Amino acid sequence: MSTSTATATPTRSPGFPWSTVRWLLGKLGGGIFVLWAVATAIFFGIRMIPGDPAEAIMGGPGSQASAEALAAARAQYGLDQPLYVQYFGQLWRLATGDMGTSYALKTPVAEVLGELIPPTLILAVLALLVAWAMALLLAVLSTRSGGLGTALGSGLEIVSAAVPHFWLASVLILVFSTMLGWLPPVSTNTPAGLVLPVITLALPLAGFLGQVMRDTMLEAQRSAFALSARARGESEVGVLLRHSLRHAALPAIALSGWAFGSLLSGAVVVESIFARPGLGRSLLAAVTSRDIPMVTGVALLSAAAYVVIMAGSELAERIADPRIGPS
Amino acid sequence: MTHVRPLANKLVPAAAALAAALVLAGCTPGTTTSDASGDAGTPVTGGTLVYASGDAEPSCLDPHVGGNYPQALVASQYLETLYTKDADGTLIPWLAKDSTVSEDGLTRTVTIREGISFTDGTTLDAAAVKANFEHLLNPDTASSTGYLALGKIDSMQAVDANTLELKLKSPDNSLLESFSMPWVAIESPTALKRSQAENCAAPVGTGPFKVESWKKQDAVNLVRNTEYVLPDPKAGHAGAAYLDAITWRFIPEAATRYAALQAGEVQLIDNAQPDAIAAAEKNTAIKHLDAPRPGASNRVELNSSKAPFNDAKVREAFVHAVNVNASIDSLFFGTAKRSYSPLSSVEPLAHSEESLFGYDPAKAGQLLDAAGWSERDSAGYRVKDGARLSLTFPVSTSQSIPAEQSLFEQMQATAKESGIEIKIKLLDLSSWYGELFTNNYNLVSAPYTKVGPGVLSILFHSDSTIPAPSGYFANLSQVKDPSLDVLLDTAGSTKDQAERKNLYAQAQQKVLEGYYLLPLYNQQNHFLYSEKLKNVGTTTAVASPTFFGTWLSN
Repeated sequence: MSTSTATATPTRSPGFPWSTVRWLLGKLGGGIFVLWAVATAIFFGIRMIPGDPAEAIMGGPGSQASAEALAAARAQYGLDQPLYVQYFGQLWRLATGDMGTSYALKTPVAEVLGELIPPTLILAVLALLVAWAMALLLAVLSTRSGGLGTALGSGLEIVSAAVPHFWLASVLILVFSTMLGWLPPVSTNTPAGLVLPVITLALPLAGFLGQVMRDTMLEAQRSAFALSARARGESEVGVLLRHSLRHAALPAIALSGWAFGSLLSGAVVVESIFARPGLGRSLLAAVTSRDIPMVTGVALLSAAAYVVIMAGSELAERIADPRIGPS
Repeated sequence: MTHVRPLANKLVPAAAALAAALVLAGCTPGTTTSDASGDAGTPVTGGTLVYASGDAEPSCLDPHVGGNYPQALVASQYLETLYTKDADGTLIPWLAKDSTVSEDGLTRTVTIREGISFTDGTTLDAAAVKANFEHLLNPDTASSTGYLALGKIDSMQAVDANTLELKLKSPDNSLLESFSMPWVAIESPTALKRSQAENCAAPVGTGPFKVESWKKQDAVNLVRNTEYVLPDPKAGHAGAAYLDAITWRFIPEAATRYAALQAGEVQLIDNAQPDAIAAAEKNTAIKHLDAPRPGASNRVELNSSKAPFNDAKVREAFVHAVNVNASIDSLFFGTAKRSYSPLSSVEPLAHSEESLFGYDPAKAGQLLDAAGWSERDSAGYRVKDGARLSLTFPVSTSQSIPAEQSLFEQMQATAKESGIEIKIKLLDLSSWYGELFTNNYNLVSAPYTKVGPGVLSILFHSDSTIPAPSGYFANLSQVKDPSLDVLLDTAGSTKDQAERKNLYAQAQQKVLEGYYLLPLYNQQNHFLYSEKLKNVGTTTAVASPTFFGTWLSN
């Protein structure tokens, strides 16, 4: 996309880009609306589950809290207040940047999130890169080797796209840890510990990306610019690398914003199975223990990440393609 | 040692002998079992044990706060208790030296052992113990388990440096058993003065290890307490623990946990599932420790507060209509043994009545016919006054392991043959609590861990049917029997041990004969560990393993 920026810029009229500012303000407003909606949905949604959050504060399963201790916990966390007081209090705290203290971890949510973002980000980014590499490989191989290759590649893509993370992780552990003994089944801080979680996340994604890329690539291979490149004496490999591949990458890049979101949800399963610290695993633990501040924190963070990534990719498209929006 | 039985069924003789030896060595803190267990070899100093826990990561490493089993497991490494249990299940003094009770049972005097220090240098004395009890009883601490255990204490006073005098609201002959639970463990009073957040992150005790750091969602790092003094010199070797450190990891997925053990990433896993235990039996590199928890047995409770179980004949019919034994054998691969008692088999006062619980569909049919459930509807279920004989069974997926859920499904199938419908509802914990609070259940299974037969009062006394503000009540079969209440009250306050035993036996017989519960098996607590790990098997009174005498062979 960066290459098209260079060619697009000279065609733009000079002057202050008011339309972009308006667009940005609109996005900001939309983003705030989304965050408010998420905070509200979580606040009321989690209260629809029967049970008492004070029990979660008192240690959850296995502890039978006394009446006094529960009352103290309720008062300490403001759970004895009327619902609307709690709701507006919660919104006000969130608006002022205070995400509260986790019931279960007894630590400020912001601090916990700060610790958990890096491991999840590393996992997601690596999985995205690996998925890209696998998708490219699949797409190139299947377009290069004719009808049978296409059918085989397409079949592989569908299977890998359809495989659930849970099943894939179990099979990978069984084969590569238990049977072959090559890789650790739990994700330690070593590079080897990252291999299985990354592959578990990347494989289904590679299936999706591969399907999109292969179709666009086949289309590009048959297109006029590919024909003219061949006419100029470009080799088949050259056409593929210099023209078709670039063409095929565009929709896949556009999908990457969505892909990143799907990786975050996949992290819930993968981090739990491979016992890796991260946002996904903490979300699961927080939901089971009714840790309201923690659930709200992770949900808001994911929503904010989504908003930013989506806006970012739209912004990139605006810069890349001056036809979008009035100027 | 009744808890050897679950193992003996299917294990090969050599493994059974080893396991029996391990369990025999079981409850004595720090006992060296190298001569008896086949763990022959000279102890090796050094190395780090990686422990993989399947429990939820505790929110606080101080078991005074809240008070659940995962906290007890990890805290047993760095905290110690006033009392503990030896291999025979006998209560022995640990941080306490001795204890006496007044004639009226209202004054309990505890002498504290001398010469022991917390890992922050604070001396263990009567004032320190007093500070701990005050911490537990302070509502700001938010203790649940420990708070209940000390509920009868009215006031306390350090008479001299090593003597603590407790005034009780009423006699409590379970107090020393309560003192043996990790939820009432003794911490440094200096450390307790810190903020709760600080104390939760690194409690300070007298144990063989101390908390070095806690990386949430990853591991609690424990290191050897080089200054450790074994309270009872007869209980183990002199000096510090053999292991340099313990890395306490949290691996929630059972299959991953077992794979990590096989791969040598970890040396010991808890919450081992029946399939993994059965697989490990064929693997000489992996050993098995079966340490049933004290307190109640795992059981299905029959809600006697509403139809159809307000009719004792229907409760009796249900018990004879379900084939429990065949299911336990097939689903637990011989790792669990059928119980016929409301108490765990590790409780010395457990009373069993096997004859009441036979699988007998013919008898079930007669009882139901006599109770008026003689007609059948088109689906084959019994009906009375137009209503189907249908039982709601909420099951907590976090408290019932998959094998137990399957057991309930098989009970459902056998009950159907007698015309009884069981509706199983698989629920998360909060929703499960919700069903109990609204009395929307006929059958329920809930674990309860506590040391001593006093748990019977919690589960079957009519006082326990009154919900706490949270809605929770522990008497889930909702027995309200004044004569049972009298038995339990007298059993809990008598000073005469023989009378106590007799009264608790009568109380158990009463709830069993009333068919308020269907006992299943001990509360399962299985550990699998690498054969490189030697001298494993020493546990606290609540069957949490301790690693003072454990070493890693090369």
